[in-house]
Amino acid sequence: MADAIAVKGVRAAQAAPPPPAPRRLRNGFAPAVPGLAFLLLCFMLPVLALLLRSLTQPQWGLQNYAALLATSTYANVLFNTFAVAGLVTGISALLGLPLAWFLAVAPRFWSQLVFGIVILSMWTNLLARTYAWMVLLQDTGIINNFLIWTGIIQNPLPLFGTMAGVVIGMVYIMLPFMVLSLRGPLAALDASLFQAASLCGASRVQAFTQVFLPLLAPGLAAGGLIIFVMSLGYYITPSLLGGAQDMMLAELIAQLVQTLLNWGLAGAASFLLLVLTLSLYAVQIRYFSPRRGKEG
Amino acid sequence: MTQAFLELRNIRKNFDSFTAIDGVSLQIPRGEFVTFLGPSGSGKSTTLYVVAGFIEPSAGEVLLNGRSLLGVPPNHRDIGMVFQRYTLFPHLTVAENIAFPLRVRRRPKAEIAAKVDEMLRLVHLSAMRDRKPAQLSGGQQQRVALARALAYDPQILLMDEPLSALDKKLREDLQSEIKRIHAETGVTVIYVTHDQEEALRLSDRIVLFNHGGIEQIGTGEDLYQRPASAFAAGFIGNSNFIDIEVLENRNNIGDVRCPDGSTLSGVPLMGRTQTGKAQIMLRPEHIRLTAEAEGIGGHVTDAAFLGDVMAHTVLTGWGQEIMVRTPRQMFMGPPAGVGDAVRLGFAPADAFLFVPH
Amino acid sequence: MLMDFARLGWMRWLLCATAGACTLFLLAPLVLLIALSFDSSPWLQFPPPGWTLQWYAQVFHDPDWLASFITSLEVGSCVTVLSVLLGLLCGFAITRGQFRGREILRGFFLTPMILPSIVLGIALYSAFLWLHIAGSFAGFVIAHLVLALPFSVVAITGALEQTDKSLEDAAMLCGAGLWEARVRVILPAIRHGLFGAALFSFLTSWDEVVVAIFMASPTLQTLPVRMLGELRQDLSPDIAVVSSLLVLATALLMGLAALFQKESAR
Ligand SMILES: Nc1ncnc2c1ncn2[C@@H]1O[C@H](COP(=O)(O)OP(=O)(O)O)[C@@H](O)[C@H]1O
Ligand SMILES: [Mg+2]
Repeated sequence: MADAIAVKGVRAAQAAPPPPAPRRLRNGFAPAVPGLAFLLLCFMLPVLALLLRSLTQPQWGLQNYAALLATSTYANVLFNTFAVAGLVTGISALLGLPLAWFLAVAPRFWSQLVFGIVILSMWTNLLARTYAWMVLLQDTGIINNFLIWTGIIQNPLPLFGTMAGVVIGMVYIMLPFMVLSLRGPLAALDASLFQAASLCGASRVQAFTQVFLPLLAPGLAAGGLIIFVMSLGYYITPSLLGGAQDMMLAELIAQLVQTLLNWGLAGAASFLLLVLTLSLYAVQIRYFSPRRGKEG
Repeated sequence: MTQAFLELRNIRKNFDSFTAIDGVSLQIPRGEFVTFLGPSGSGKSTTLYVVAGFIEPSAGEVLLNGRSLLGVPPNHRDIGMVFQRYTLFPHLTVAENIAFPLRVRRRPKAEIAAKVDEMLRLVHLSAMRDRKPAQLSGGQQQRVALARALAYDPQILLMDEPLSALDKKLREDLQSEIKRIHAETGVTVIYVTHDQEEALRLSDRIVLFNHGGIEQIGTGEDLYQRPASAFAAGFIGNSNFIDIEVLENRNNIGDVRCPDGSTLSGVPLMGRTQTGKAQIMLRPEHIRLTAEAEGIGGHVTDAAFLGDVMAHTVLTGWGQEIMVRTPRQMFMGPPAGVGDAVRLGFAPADAFLFVPH
Repeated sequence: MLMDFARLGWMRWLLCATAGACTLFLLAPLVLLIALSFDSSPWLQFPPPGWTLQWYAQVFHDPDWLASFITSLEVGSCVTVLSVLLGLLCGFAITRGQFRGREILRGFFLTPMILPSIVLGIALYSAFLWLHIAGSFAGFVIAHLVLALPFSVVAITGALEQTDKSLEDAAMLCGAGLWEARVRVILPAIRHGLFGAALFSFLTSWDEVVVAIFMASPTLQTLPVRMLGELRQDLSPDIAVVSSLLVLATALLMGLAALFQKESAR
């Protein structure tokens, strides 16, 4: 007994605080240093320097931003950028939903085959895909030839070098992203949910509009947001499939640097694109990040 | 006491503002099997990791043979450890896993081969030597982990709830295996568990943890027979706590009043109180069901026959359920059934008195 | 009802029709590329009047295509090695470090992913002009490493997070030093993550074109840069050949990845 009580005393007997042990273990930050230094020097610094150029060239001030927003040519570019990004997002959602739905319910063989095709197209080199659309969309290309041959149209549709062509080519690129971002939410849908809806008396259309769509809305929104952001900054496909009058923001930036050597304005346009992108990603993280568990 | 083999002095560890262990002091002689027992979150693993060297204490000292271990990195401490989760290296076979510490130490090939054979025999797994960990059961994996931890003859073997992922039968088999291996190798063992039965079965001494501190140190018998606190009494074995009032103190022996107004005399006060509110703890096997007129009154709400004992639950007049366990040979006449009115008798000397904080 | 293929009713036909159309939309350009590469007419006639291998022969004997192919391989290999190495170090810091701001560090390593490529391209171009390394091999590697590193960090931190830290602790108690434990025990355990990091890093560099445009010089061009140059001039069958080869390579790589996944699932 005395023994036990003495032991209890051990805990009470720390009147004099013992000296703190010296720090000996390292905190494990060191391995991050090479990567961190690399990104700071070769990524952050150049981007910040570019943005700085927008304020200093040709002289200090906001003249580049004023020019960007006031000139109608540039305003037009901004309009085109948003129009294309919006159309691409909408059409991708419209096509991606049934495609992802098919993948979720179709017999295994078919769903695996179609999914393989989706992934193959997504992984194929961007230029190869764009090249194919350049061939397909020509005035004398396969699509127009086919439509004239069937007699649906007399004269070729203006597909190549127009906004229509840009949208088609970009939907081709973005569609797989929509399918991928709907896969998770669709897999989480339980068949019994719809059995319940049907027992409640809901028709197929009612079940679709009142149960199916609301449950998939977060996935659609998340996928749409990603596609919209990516489309805003797209360069290659619009520049190859579009015409001069359908220029988008990224093309404008490239042109300002490559042919006009106007680094100040290019910096300002980059800043604009960056702010748009980052704020949309902030929305994405705030509302759609799975870590937050907002979608439940 | 002469210089201890392993000594912890006033160890404290803060995680940011949270104090995980506070003032842990302990001396362990060579060859002892010590168990850290306590509820989960009480700081057992943290203390163990301080010994292993993965956690640096905020204050205090760890001494091995009188020399500080704190500046020594884990790989130079010469300590073996078996973890709660399976930590066999998945890309190596059983034999290669056991050979790993010896290879790291660049021992000669022949010596490694001999040691691996010896260890495989020690844990009875010679037949499994070329299997990969994924092809072993959980119990086998922990035995290989034990062999790996012992392969380099460490001074100290640490085990952090090594059996908690296994089912009961396997756990008991491995417990006896661990006891045998401890006896064969004589290694000093610190074993962490939250299972009191396991602690009682294995240990020379038990260190009872609670809220980041040591509640009591002693043999299993010490802790059971002479709990130093209400917590210790409640954690080891089954116990009934009854709120009482100490009416009178005569030379450390008290008269107390139970909630139903009955009084008892001859309760040892253990120097814990003069008079006033307190608690007594009674082990279920120290209580008798009697038909006599004295004792606490109540009626049986549950009766179960558990082989060699009868377990009763008795609801007292003030609405508390008391557990009673009676060895079968102590029954005189038919045992009480559910609904029967009974009285609870016990020797006042069997009551432990605690003053709740 | 809606999640049961057999009981979709009339919706099933609608669903199959749209899905079929989408699949055709996704597949047709790839098939077309391959058909055109064997098309005997140099004017990309479809359906082809005849079949030929002459465009393949032409590409294989063209020193310019070969040179850009080699450049792509070289840049990609350098980027892969550096990206996996830096990613591994960062991964250890992010998953095993004890310092504050680990999550911020993780987020920082991902930022190049969300930056529009065009902005990175001209930012680096501007910096490299100033440093007089525009159009150099080093410039290419730096630019693609910025883009590849996030993928490597994601793949490797993911793998490290799935590997129990106790494995490392166990190896250290066995007597191995910290980095010896990591190399001998953790690397084998995360080999799938390392493979993924290498694959993504290589593909990022291999397919990248926007930043590459600004890194290239007339004498130093990766395959995509050269393809883009050709596309801007005219639609020659050469590109159909190169594109078909890329489709083939992609399909092969997918098969390999699927095999690898099966192996790692076991
Ligand atoms: N790395 C850590 N950071 C913050 N708190 C910790 C850490 N490790 C342990 N703790 C806290 O310290 C307390 C003691 O933990 P531990 O020693 O693991 O308990 P036990 O092993 O007895 O279950 C727990 O409350 C736990 O949450
Ligand atoms: Mg623990």
